[in-house]
Amino acid sequence: MSDDNTTHFGYREVETDEKSGLVAEVFDSVASRYDVMNDLMSAGIHRIWKRFTIELSGVRRGNRVLDIAGGTGDLAAKFAPMVGDTGAVVLADINASMLRVGRDRLIDRGVPGNLFYVQADAQYLPFPDGHFDCITIAFGLRNVTDKDLALRSMNRILKPGGRLLVLEFSKPRNPLLSRAYDAYSFGVLPVMGRLVAGDSDSYQYLAESIRMHPDQETLRTMMEDAGFERCDYHNMTGGIVAVHRGYKAQG
Amino acid sequence: MTDLRMPTIHTAGLAAAEAAINGALRLSPHSVEALKELAGQVLALECTRPALTVYLSSEKDGSLRLQGVHDGPVATRVVGQLEDFAELARAEDPAAALINGGVQLQGSSATLIDMQRVFGAVDIDWEAPLVDGLGDIAGHQLAGMLRGAFDWSQQASGNLRRQVGEFAVEEARLSPPRLALEGFYDDVQQLSERGERLEQRVALLRQRLQRLQDS
Repeated sequence: MSDDNTTHFGYREVETDEKSGLVAEVFDSVASRYDVMNDLMSAGIHRIWKRFTIELSGVRRGNRVLDIAGGTGDLAAKFAPMVGDTGAVVLADINASMLRVGRDRLIDRGVPGNLFYVQADAQYLPFPDGHFDCITIAFGLRNVTDKDLALRSMNRILKPGGRLLVLEFSKPRNPLLSRAYDAYSFGVLPVMGRLVAGDSDSYQYLAESIRMHPDQETLRTMMEDAGFERCDYHNMTGGIVAVHRGYKAQG
Repeated sequence: MTDLRMPTIHTAGLAAAEAAINGALRLSPHSVEALKELAGQVLALECTRPALTVYLSSEKDGSLRLQGVHDGPVATRVVGQLEDFAELARAEDPAAALINGGVQLQGSSATLIDMQRVFGAVDIDWEAPLVDGLGDIAGHQLAGMLRGAFDWSQQASGNLRRQVGEFAVEEARLSPPRLALEGFYDDVQQLSERGERLEQRVALLRQRLQRLQDS
């Protein structure tokens, strides 16, 4: 956060209380076309990033998994058969539109009955202490107003030894790739958003919010400060995306 | 855990291979049933050159899962170079190939042998997708032609392999007979075990000698 009363919304400085409402507007606007846009914007690579995140999760039969900012349920749909009848997957999102699209989509696909839906704010997660074996948040943390508060909230509800996986846009490691990525983000994305989703502002915000998100090392430090240990990260696609992993301390 | 230098490429490659294999398996119902029985067992294939680790497991629905990272128990770990794996995959007798080949095995060999047998016995039924795409009559006829061509090629390659083998052993004397070769492998194995035992005994004697010198 910028200071006690303001935070950033993309490149704009806004009142802290105002940000969640602005983010909600963005996702209300894009919810119906979210999956199509993800495929278009990333050329389908977001599925590979998510698949790798699932591999890192180490989730197995009987586990309880929470997918925060789960959107249209890509991760939750994969976790549900992995945890089986004896486990449970909770798909949580602060945004009712996204949650509704995700729930309808998963029900239509016949995803098992061990999947639950909760509208929840990542900063104040409504679950008991030490409840989950694994928490994932994919492309959601950068939209959270107070990231430190959200990370501490996730730490609280994880079981000791449980793991958090944060999949998020990050900073490309190569300067040339970084320049090409900037040109794509600010030149192509808003146009694509206008043509496909009828909304260029939301995709302008997407590009800006990525630039304002902490880089790989900063996010790792934030996770350590929130109480996670053995934190590491894997850069993917040259650092455009990184998946961070941390474990809740045992006992 | 595997150290992945390029996780996106690694994961994309495995995802593509997994989709292709599962697509083929869907046309071989017998293999899907066999894989269901292996559900939950994880087989790690650790290739040292080129460095690549793949974790294979089957799901309850008989589909195959390929992973670059697996954080959990592994039933069998097989370590070797790419050519060793290729030799193992081609082997008619996987147990013999394991003993005589260049791969190292950790854990139970049963998972590996079962998996190899499943893939060795994949029998793709081309008729269903062809009938779906071309209709009953044309699909059935094309499937019959493909099946005939496939059977003929298998028979021809089997005959050729047998004749080349007989020529190499009997006529050209380029290779010893199979029984002689197996006897030789047994001798080598015994020699290796005796060598290891001798090494242990020498080490023991050295320790005793050292203790005597110290006292």
